[in-house]
Amino acid sequence: MSIMDHNGGSVIAMAGKDCVAIASDLRLGAGAQTIAMNFEKVFPVTDRLYMGLPGLATDVITLREKFRYLTNMFHIKESRPLQPSTFAHLLSSTLYERRFGPYFCEPVLAGLELTPSGTYQPYIAGTDLIGCLNFAKDFIVAGTASDKLFGVAEGLWEPDLGPEDLFETISQTLLNSVDRDAYSGWGAIVHVITADKVVTRTLKGRMD
Amino acid sequence: MECSFALTGKDYVLVAADTTSARSIIKMKVDEDKIKTLSPHLLMAYSGEPGDTVQFAEYIERNIRLYHIRNLYPLRPQSAASWIRRALAESLRSRQSYTVNLLVGGFDTADKTPHLYWIDYLGTMATVPFAAHGYGSYFASSLLDRYHNPDGTLEEGLDALRRAIDETAKRLVVSPGKYTVKVVDKDGVRVIDL
Amino acid sequence: MATADGGAYSYSLTVFSPSGKLVQIEHALAAVSQGTTSLGIKASNGIVIATEKKSSSILIDDSMIEKVAVICPNIGIVYSGMGPDFRILIAKARKSAQAYWKIYGEYPPTLVLTQEIATVMQQATQSGGVRPYGVSLLVAGYDVHRGPTLYQVDPSGSYWAWKASAIGKNMINAKTFLEKRYNDDISLEDAIHTALLTLKEGFEGQMTEKTLEIGIITVPSTEELEAGKIGGETGRPKPTFRKLTEEEVRDYLAL
Repeated sequence: MSIMDHNGGSVIAMAGKDCVAIASDLRLGAGAQTIAMNFEKVFPVTDRLYMGLPGLATDVITLREKFRYLTNMFHIKESRPLQPSTFAHLLSSTLYERRFGPYFCEPVLAGLELTPSGTYQPYIAGTDLIGCLNFAKDFIVAGTASDKLFGVAEGLWEPDLGPEDLFETISQTLLNSVDRDAYSGWGAIVHVITADKVVTRTLKGRMD
Repeated sequence: MECSFALTGKDYVLVAADTTSARSIIKMKVDEDKIKTLSPHLLMAYSGEPGDTVQFAEYIERNIRLYHIRNLYPLRPQSAASWIRRALAESLRSRQSYTVNLLVGGFDTADKTPHLYWIDYLGTMATVPFAAHGYGSYFASSLLDRYHNPDGTLEEGLDALRRAIDETAKRLVVSPGKYTVKVVDKDGVRVIDL
Repeated sequence: MATADGGAYSYSLTVFSPSGKLVQIEHALAAVSQGTTSLGIKASNGIVIATEKKSSSILIDDSMIEKVAVICPNIGIVYSGMGPDFRILIAKARKSAQAYWKIYGEYPPTLVLTQEIATVMQQATQSGGVRPYGVSLLVAGYDVHRGPTLYQVDPSGSYWAWKASAIGKNMINAKTFLEKRYNDDISLEDAIHTALLTLKEGFEGQMTEKTLEIGIITVPSTEELEAGKIGGETGRPKPTFRKLTEEEVRDYLAL
């Protein structure tokens, strides 16, 4: 079993029409044993950007703290909004700094990018554990259930979903994928990001 | 083999750890206290690689004490656990890392709530209502899933703990004989005789 | 001790005199005020920075002298004072801009780069074995958040944002001239002419395309920004800072 699978956990992000969604399961395991059922893997970066961190739990916490520090410093030093595309590069370069002794996480980003004309554009991206960025128009998956998530998302996702439909799509995709993965599950948390607000919902799944 | 258990109840945290100190298959000592009192309202049960355990636990103990002396107030459980986790996470990527698993239980005197953290040698930390390390954890986690009550009285908590300890004694081939049990609540730390 | 030249406080170590002065910094400012005049003017749709390019001998090949430097596609700097010191600061500024690009995938905002240079200059006033930089800088840049901005950095490491400023020899006269000519809705074209007129005031010798250096910031349109962003991961946005060619300078002088 890979070190990436030790604690289990999965994350998915989806783009909709003028909105994005990102969700994770809540399980924390140590191999096959479940330790906690309240371990969130998605964290806010800015008001309009969230980052999911599936992978080795110690690195999930360390990276979460590292990026909180880096974004706080960015805001203090530059006093300007941090755009998803800028953060994606920061994420990539920070992970690549540890090229030969990486953090065992595969981050997923979901946010809204401010365009020069003043509108917000959906932005989703993922990276591997050494920071190779991967942009997608539809969805990004990562974690122990990523293979199942790919399949289900491929079947359920469609373009230009509104916030409510996007919530339903991402929730069903995640919940049904983690049911087929022993290392993910125990409920989920879903964030739907629109220009003016973020709606967060905690879901119950098959609690077994 | 080493076992430690912990659980929260209404306004308290119970922490239990076996008392054996073993080298290979030989018991060297049967009255070792493996729960440190880090500050007036904070307990830490430690287990893992012999040598690493005491070294690491003392390092944590002295630093938490130093913080208390410097600032007059001790770290709150949440902050202490975060700091301890970071020490382990940084150690993990050093040349010689500490192989130590911890249960950190404390009572936050500021907001009057009990807190329990499960921390392993990788620096993984989880906020949990009950927790266990070692082979005993396979029995404890399922029993406590069924019998733990987060709002239970101390007596209820002790009953649940007894179930876990008794089951471990009954079913585990290499079960430890004795445990130290400590409780932390608004009045501080006490040793409890099961 | 308290002699006219600063006495014991005038040597290499930057130490406070009893009256609270850092004489070394004042000496550095004196070096700046002996340098050729440079100026910057912020217009409604851009910025111009310009300087006099003076060579001590007609035998010098002045095509190799560079006093207006490109730091990154959105930032340029001009200086008054000591050329060699400027070169060092330029190298550090360019390196800093590239380091920022490596982390964030974009070039630094003007303020961030200005602070970076100001920090380097401040450190020279507090470190052992070094002297302060003998230059004042005018930093002109464009970024999406703050738009076009013009900063001045002094040897002490202090910096200010200006609508228009001048440094070096004649800076007092030049600033008075700018105060008279400046208004908030001046266009870039007008600003370039004002810059030339201001420099002309204290110019030594003939003002030609060979004895002038001009750099400009142009504010990109929303369409241009949009085009730069799309596939912005690989596509290079159009530079917002550029130096005027000799032909362009000649054309402005002819008007």
